[in-house]
Amino acid sequence: MTTDVLNNSKPASAPAGLSAEDQRRLYYFLIKTRLFDERCRRLFKQGRFPGTYFSAVGQEAAGVGSAYGLLKDDIIAPSHRELGAYVTKGIPLVHFLKQIFARANSSDKGKSHPCHYGSTEHGLYTPASTMAGQLPVGVGMALAFKIRKEPRVCMAFIGEGGTSRGGFHEALNFAGIHDLPNVFVCMNNLWAESVPAKLQSRIEKYSDRAKAYGFPGVTIDGNDLLLVYSTVKAAIDKARSGGGPTLIECLTYRWYGHSEIDPANYRAPEEVERWKKRDPVLLYEQHLDATGIMSASDREEVKRGIDKELEEAIAFAESSPHPEAEDAYDDVYSFSPNPNFTG
Amino acid sequence: MRVITYIEAITEALAEEMRRDERVFVLGEDVALYGGVFKATKGLLDEFGPLRVIDTPIAEELIVGAAVGAAAMGMRPVPEIQFSDFASCGFDPIVQQMARLRYRSGSAWTCPMVLRICCGGEIGGGIYHSQTNENWFFGTPGLVVLAPSTPHDAKGMLKSAIRGEDPVIYFEHKRLYRWIKGQVPDGDFTVPLGRADIKRPGSTLTIVTYQLMVHRALEAAEVLAQEGIDVEVVDLRTLLPWDREMVLESARKTGKVLVVHESPKTGGVGGEIAATIMEEVFDYLDAPVGRLAGPDIPPMPFAPVMEKEYMPDAEKIAAKARALAAY
Repeated sequence: MTTDVLNNSKPASAPAGLSAEDQRRLYYFLIKTRLFDERCRRLFKQGRFPGTYFSAVGQEAAGVGSAYGLLKDDIIAPSHRELGAYVTKGIPLVHFLKQIFARANSSDKGKSHPCHYGSTEHGLYTPASTMAGQLPVGVGMALAFKIRKEPRVCMAFIGEGGTSRGGFHEALNFAGIHDLPNVFVCMNNLWAESVPAKLQSRIEKYSDRAKAYGFPGVTIDGNDLLLVYSTVKAAIDKARSGGGPTLIECLTYRWYGHSEIDPANYRAPEEVERWKKRDPVLLYEQHLDATGIMSASDREEVKRGIDKELEEAIAFAESSPHPEAEDAYDDVYSFSPNPNFTG
Repeated sequence: MRVITYIEAITEALAEEMRRDERVFVLGEDVALYGGVFKATKGLLDEFGPLRVIDTPIAEELIVGAAVGAAAMGMRPVPEIQFSDFASCGFDPIVQQMARLRYRSGSAWTCPMVLRICCGGEIGGGIYHSQTNENWFFGTPGLVVLAPSTPHDAKGMLKSAIRGEDPVIYFEHKRLYRWIKGQVPDGDFTVPLGRADIKRPGSTLTIVTYQLMVHRALEAAEVLAQEGIDVEVVDLRTLLPWDREMVLESARKTGKVLVVHESPKTGGVGGEIAATIMEEVFDYLDAPVGRLAGPDIPPMPFAPVMEKEYMPDAEKIAAKARALAAY
């Protein structure tokens, strides 16, 4: 693991062009992600929904900062732990909750297990659980934009563990050849479930992999919200203007287990504590305090508003109807289950 | 009507659909400059240019996965895997993305694409250039799996597939490419998917088969006709979801059914068809449903004598059908 990028003791200052209003909006998405995630962990522990829950607590800045520079028509090809990016893309909390509770009114109609969100309206591709599978798909999305000459970007996420998959190589190699409008964001949270990054690859910086594909790669402090935003925004602009892809490695940390059924006891408690001191929310609040852009009382008001949306969304989702058993037979093909279809 | 080869039917279908709909594009290994290793995509680069006819690296996961992404964005990709043996390298996107995107997203995202896969034996291609492996995908709901046997069906079904809304695997048999010629209508036409076709009506027994084995079954039927055995040949054409209605109707009519395919017997399409016939129309049967398939060895041993041993042919089909007729 590389630590030199973390040596800055305080968060980066705001990049040029980022207004105070933008910085307050960034806080809104950041704290919304945190509050939602912690609340959903509690809901799972209370047995309120089946399956498990994959929290992104500790990684919020990398998700929010990456997606804040995207436009409405841009697409996210997610892995599964980039909640901050989905929230920032404008997806309302109730959308996630209907999915987690597997209700009939969820956009996936109860078909996928928790945290595999998707939304055509907001440009979020519904992921599979096979790591790196979304990368060739995201490259194909960018290929479609290039063929149609549309000024759109596909941002594809991957964990450091997922970079070991062949699909990572095949996708980035092709994106490089054709200068496709992709931004690849690698969330290096140091652990692929229980396997440490040092057993995932000999290389220290996963962004070095970009060299093999002929486009730039950079490793940054993924807990520094403004740094993530400015770095990824530059890559988005470059991709949109035909300058080709970029690989950005966000060094970050997941505070809890791979999912809520993983106690994560394979990690040293000191390591967890060290990273909790680098809490991306705390770091950004320090920035807001230091610059006077948003006071503590204003932040409390924002949190109260989010809590209200959250509790209303939970109540709505939890009281929504379950799917019927026979709904399992829908959504296999465009036609009904009758085998005698005409194409 | 015109007479064209099986591979000409495929090339014509691609070119006509690309002319008709600018969302249609092809990608794969050697498909552009070289026109495909079997020349199925010959001429497309010149007519449609490098944005719609794309040579890819040797990367089947990319070829299939990128097609899924483009399809999700509203394109109509027609990727090619040049040997069915190499489909193993694209297994993850075929099974986890193509087949399941609609289901896992509750139809929010869909995947209208046609993955062309070149398959089949009798060509001396050895272990990695000869197999038919539709059985790998037959157990994957969400996919539509096609296996046409004639130029007419090859062209009309490829057009239907490209115009459809579902993820399709289109198996094209290499042995049929230039050997099989047949009539096709002059203008635009499509062939419905999901429908089998009776290639030869008969009354003594039914052979249910597809692709190359349709032709071998027809040859066998000619020989058997001399012996007073009147064989009905049902060409499945679509393997998934397959045409239960037509197969069961033929089984009820003749009372004796032989299922023939090139893939290994165990876990093959034939087992499913045989089981369904016995579940549904047992009372109409005059004999157990028979199966003739490739043996349970890795297809395809290279030495010509071993390839001949592996492949079902007209003689083997006739022998099996004769025994069934005498049952």
